[in-house]
Amino acid sequence: MPTLASSSLASLSLLQIETQFRDRIWRGDALGSSPDQIVSSGFDELDKALPGGGWSTHSLTELLLPAEGLGEIRLLSQPLKHITQDGRNILLVDPPHLPYMHAWENLDIDSRRILVAKVSKSAERLWVIEQGIKSAAFGIIICWLPAASPQALRKLQIIARTAASLIFLFRPASAQSEPSAAPLRILLAPAKRHTLSVRLLKRRGASIDLPLYIPLPQIEPFFNPITPAPALANVVDRSSLPDVIT
Amino acid sequence: MLWIALHCPTLSLDWIERRFPATLIPAMAVTVRQGNQIYIQQANQPAQRRGVMARQPLASALSLFPDLILVEHDPNEETKALQEAAYAALRFTPYIVMQGSGLIAEVSGSLKLFGGLKKLCRLLNQAVAAQGLQLCVGIAPTATGAWLLARSAPLRTVVNGAGARLRLLLDSLPAGLLESAQPHLEAIRGIGCKTLADLQRLPRSGVARRFGPDLLIELDHAYGNSPDPQRWLEMPEYFQQKTALMAQVENVELLSVAVQRMIEQMCGWLALRYAAVLEFSFVLHHEYSPRQPHKSTPIKIRLSEQSDDPRHLMILLREWLGRTEIVAPVCELELTADKVTAGPDSNLELFPTSQSETTSLNRFIEKLSSRLGPQAITRLNVIPDHRPEYSQSCQPPGMNNLSCRKAIPLESTHPLTRPAWLRETPLELRVQRHQPVYGSPLKLIAGPERIEAGWWDDAPIARDYFIAENALGQLLWIYREQNPAAKNAGWYLQGLFG
Repeated sequence: MPTLASSSLASLSLLQIETQFRDRIWRGDALGSSPDQIVSSGFDELDKALPGGGWSTHSLTELLLPAEGLGEIRLLSQPLKHITQDGRNILLVDPPHLPYMHAWENLDIDSRRILVAKVSKSAERLWVIEQGIKSAAFGIIICWLPAASPQALRKLQIIARTAASLIFLFRPASAQSEPSAAPLRILLAPAKRHTLSVRLLKRRGASIDLPLYIPLPQIEPFFNPITPAPALANVVDRSSLPDVIT
Repeated sequence: MLWIALHCPTLSLDWIERRFPATLIPAMAVTVRQGNQIYIQQANQPAQRRGVMARQPLASALSLFPDLILVEHDPNEETKALQEAAYAALRFTPYIVMQGSGLIAEVSGSLKLFGGLKKLCRLLNQAVAAQGLQLCVGIAPTATGAWLLARSAPLRTVVNGAGARLRLLLDSLPAGLLESAQPHLEAIRGIGCKTLADLQRLPRSGVARRFGPDLLIELDHAYGNSPDPQRWLEMPEYFQQKTALMAQVENVELLSVAVQRMIEQMCGWLALRYAAVLEFSFVLHHEYSPRQPHKSTPIKIRLSEQSDDPRHLMILLREWLGRTEIVAPVCELELTADKVTAGPDSNLELFPTSQSETTSLNRFIEKLSSRLGPQAITRLNVIPDHRPEYSQSCQPPGMNNLSCRKAIPLESTHPLTRPAWLRETPLELRVQRHQPVYGSPLKLIAGPERIEAGWWDDAPIARDYFIAENALGQLLWIYREQNPAAKNAGWYLQGLFG
């Protein structure tokens, strides 16, 4: 019968073990901490739920999304904004649509700092992500991965451990049943208007079952919300026009 | 002064072996004619295994191994190979002297940069050995001393005669190593002189009378008793190197050693000029055959930022070669530095700075575009235009992207509501009971915003934009054509609010 691998380990008290292996062992009921650099998400509620208190560098963050257009960019807008303000770059790998830079500029993201990589083949896409992670050039790498094998994700996670950038993988919501090496997996879903439901499927530390509701920065409507009977005719505010015309 | 001498005792074989891919080297021997007879001068490893030895008459070598490939001793080719190796050594010092079958480098100015004599010696040795030469190394404060020590050293060893050790080491060297003693070897041996120390002890006037003044001068140079000016190797103003291959190569992998050598040579040349390359071309010359009209495959590589790093250039070239189809066997490679600029101010940085980040960004862009094509990576430029289709342009990311002024999205007192995602072409939506449908019937939550522009360039639009929501919770940016002519204008999906 095998004895304990190290008898010296056995003589340590639980507290000693905890302090000695602080970064590698955490209690199941406590929220894990992260030894890596943390970037605040900009939402207090979300920061409280994320290990370490924000998005963590040196690891993959998987965001599962049923469809585009739920507010996923607004969810990430704070780190995106801060990274470009620090003069660092953003890499978008295979976004589903063209990013509309006017809107990104409205979120105070410097569009000159954004690079878009368009790749058609899945193997090439993984290669681009790898190169992006290995390169020191990017503060944030956001990738859209419709399909990825667990092996490929594991490889990315190993490479990500050496990188100082935030890495977000957007994957379809159907991928939640697939295994993944990403230490943080989050399922996004729409809640009320301008609110995103965020369910942490996997994180370091205790799991939480209930989703968080994150209020997103509101999209300012052009002008007043639609009245029940929308007047689609070309409405001109004539009060500001000189009297001659009226 | 400190000299590192690199002696290549097997140069007459090395120059030809280095032109073969390592796996394809046949049994070879170099022959030399002495009087009426031809002797084997040197035989390579595969030939030695068959019993072929140096100083064997040709006839007995051929009787041992009839398929032996014979190469005549060719001093021109040897010098060429040495010169190519010297290019690679230029990365470590600009002062290089060509000497018979080796190189002597003056390194006192490079010690600090490369982390001391030991490291520098190892790096220099590696760089020159990577050019396909087998070396023995001597280190001494005099050029002739270093050269003598290198010639006395066994293959792949270093004799370090730096400082006071030089005198001791030189004293024990055999007199036969001296070049000026070659015609008088018999006589020198006859008077009982075996080592340099013995020669030093003889009266100088007598030595000069008997063996000529050259012997004494060489000894004085070696011991550092008289000044020893050298003729430095001069490099051309442009870089163009050709490497003829001895085998017909159809596989890119087999080319990579030769390619790596040429890149190292170019980087050595760049280091000498304190320059970096912006554009270089690599040409694969093909074997001539009447069926094959292709004579050469040129590859032209333009860098977004000048570079003198052999690793980076090699990665780029390898990606290009990986994409290039080799149409016929390759017999010669050619590398030319087309555009050279002043080198980067590459002060070693303690912390990563924006400069090093820009460099790595440019490298990333180069790597991507050389593998996936230039259209794979783009930057979106904001254009102040209200029409979504014309409000941004894809641009290849260049070097000077940040020097352009800050983009001004659209001039307005308050930011306009725009979606984070734009469809490349608007999608026409189905209409169900006067309601547009995307996934489910859409609910309009804000709008309309009229965009009417473009009367000046033949692409006018007149649209009413709305924000709509579907049952899934997606916020959509849709529009309706405001065309007075068409009564039933359709709905289109333009973007999504990410």
